[in-house]
Amino acid sequence: MSELLEVEDLTVTFRTTRGPVDVVKGVSFTVAGDETVGIVGESGSGKSMTSLAIMGLLPKGARTAGSIRLNGAELLGRPDRELRRLRGDQLSMIFQDPLSSLNPYYTVGLQIEEMYRAHRGGTRKAARQVAIAALGQVGLPEPERRVDHYPHQFSGGQRQRVMIAMALVCEPALLIADEPTTALDVTVQAQILRLLADLRRQSGTGMVFITHDLAVISSIATRVLVMRRGEQVEYGTAEQVFAEPRHDYTRMLLESIPRIDDEVEEMTA
Amino acid sequence: MARYVAGRLAGVVLILFLVCLFTFIIFFTLSPDPAVMICGKTCTPERIDQIRDVLGLNQPLVTQFLGFLTGIFAGRDYGSGANLIHCSAPCLGYSFQTNQSVWDMVVERLPVSATVAIGAAVLWLLVGILAGLLSAVKEGTWWDRTAMGLALGGSSVPNYVLALALQYVLVVQLQVLPFPQAVAFGDDPVLWFQSYLMPWIVLATGYACLYARLTRANVIDTLAENFMRTARSKGLSPALTMRRHALRPALTPIATIFGMDFAALLGGALITETVFGLNGVGKMAADSIAKNDQPVIMAVTLLAAFFVVVGNVVVDLVYTRLDPRVRITTP
Repeated sequence: MSELLEVEDLTVTFRTTRGPVDVVKGVSFTVAGDETVGIVGESGSGKSMTSLAIMGLLPKGARTAGSIRLNGAELLGRPDRELRRLRGDQLSMIFQDPLSSLNPYYTVGLQIEEMYRAHRGGTRKAARQVAIAALGQVGLPEPERRVDHYPHQFSGGQRQRVMIAMALVCEPALLIADEPTTALDVTVQAQILRLLADLRRQSGTGMVFITHDLAVISSIATRVLVMRRGEQVEYGTAEQVFAEPRHDYTRMLLESIPRIDDEVEEMTA
Repeated sequence: MARYVAGRLAGVVLILFLVCLFTFIIFFTLSPDPAVMICGKTCTPERIDQIRDVLGLNQPLVTQFLGFLTGIFAGRDYGSGANLIHCSAPCLGYSFQTNQSVWDMVVERLPVSATVAIGAAVLWLLVGILAGLLSAVKEGTWWDRTAMGLALGGSSVPNYVLALALQYVLVVQLQVLPFPQAVAFGDDPVLWFQSYLMPWIVLATGYACLYARLTRANVIDTLAENFMRTARSKGLSPALTMRRHALRPALTPIATIFGMDFAALLGGALITETVFGLNGVGKMAADSIAKNDQPVIMAVTLLAAFFVVVGNVVVDLVYTRLDPRVRITTP
């Protein structure tokens, strides 16, 4: 497995009135072309800032140090014009709240089309066919009709499907999913996770999956990075991290998972 | 949709009826006897009786009110026999001061008020929205602070102060503009423009300041929305991101406010018109109130109410076009 994404000693610093604050401190991990790496941590642990740093979408005033390489090419310090060409094309992202992440004033079709056309060009008509196909691929029924609907006409799970369809429309090399199931209810969560895993496998996209939920990570990731207060406290294969956590914090996180497995066994027995 | 529009129009009719009723009660029962006012200095009791008879002031209030309403839709007659005067629909009566038909006065003056309102609206939309946009994009810079400081100051200057200051500086001192004159566009377009320029600026200043601040706040809020982060993550050009994703959500509420502000101005810009001596509906309102010219007061009040109420309905209908969440509620 060649490395698709290499993050090395990444540090993100914000200047505040009380001096500089490091929100990400020396994080290093790699994502191979065809795997899912999970980043776990509680809110404020720096996991979202890590993903925004990869996308080049950190808020103004944030400073970065270290290195982020995509297929060997350095991303940090590249002008925004060049990063923009990668964003949406090579690098794609889905966000936590699918309703507020879609623009309420435009149809989902247009929002997928504009992204496709920004990178691939072509007519609106052609892009519309691509959008319809993308919506069908994420399992939305009647994509020809739904393509003209507005975000508020979809349910929560459907909206996240739209986001996924959009994120994958240019067949990116790397997909960053930032808590994509947190805002959804449990049964829909499982469907979205399965969809993401399936699509990733089919397209051979590398994925960074960010969550605060270790149970979700265990089902989807091959490698796991545990973050706490901006620091990397554990990094290893999923088996390693779950079977023999080396850090007390990981152990604590693992113990906080409700023991769903036991209950399921009791119920089916 | 048709049902919704019909419902709204029924509401408009009801509101205008109530405005009619209350204005009628207030001006015709709480103010001095119009017959005495019309009669003037050389007055005899017989003459007062005669005037009362012609105007129908001897009749019960309900009959008078119905007479007023009938006049608007079907026309009405004043007096009887040799004194009979027919006032054809839409009849708003005759001015106590000039005996002119109030409807004719309105028709004559409405274009002036509309000219003042339209010109000012163009000016304040351009200046206000552009300044607000720039401020939002350059939030926290010297431009932003200067523009917002000016906007705060500008919205605190009363119109009459600004009008007098402008006239003093531009007309008296620098002499770059002639003194405003009542001239038709067709007769002398240049003088027409020069005459309306100061009223436009004066009227637009307060609104421009308000709209700049509104635009800035709305754009800054929109830029912080999650869907803006999505737009950036899609690799769209900054221009498209701004134009498509930020401007429409940010400016839609401004369209609503604009509709109502503009509608209210069609009912006359009282202070601006009076200060510049423009014969618009606003000046007509000021004059009629000063002289207790009840039929004219009734007319300007009704006219203002009409524009505000109709403006509100139009704004609501336009809003359903602008925001798909209002337009389409079915999943």
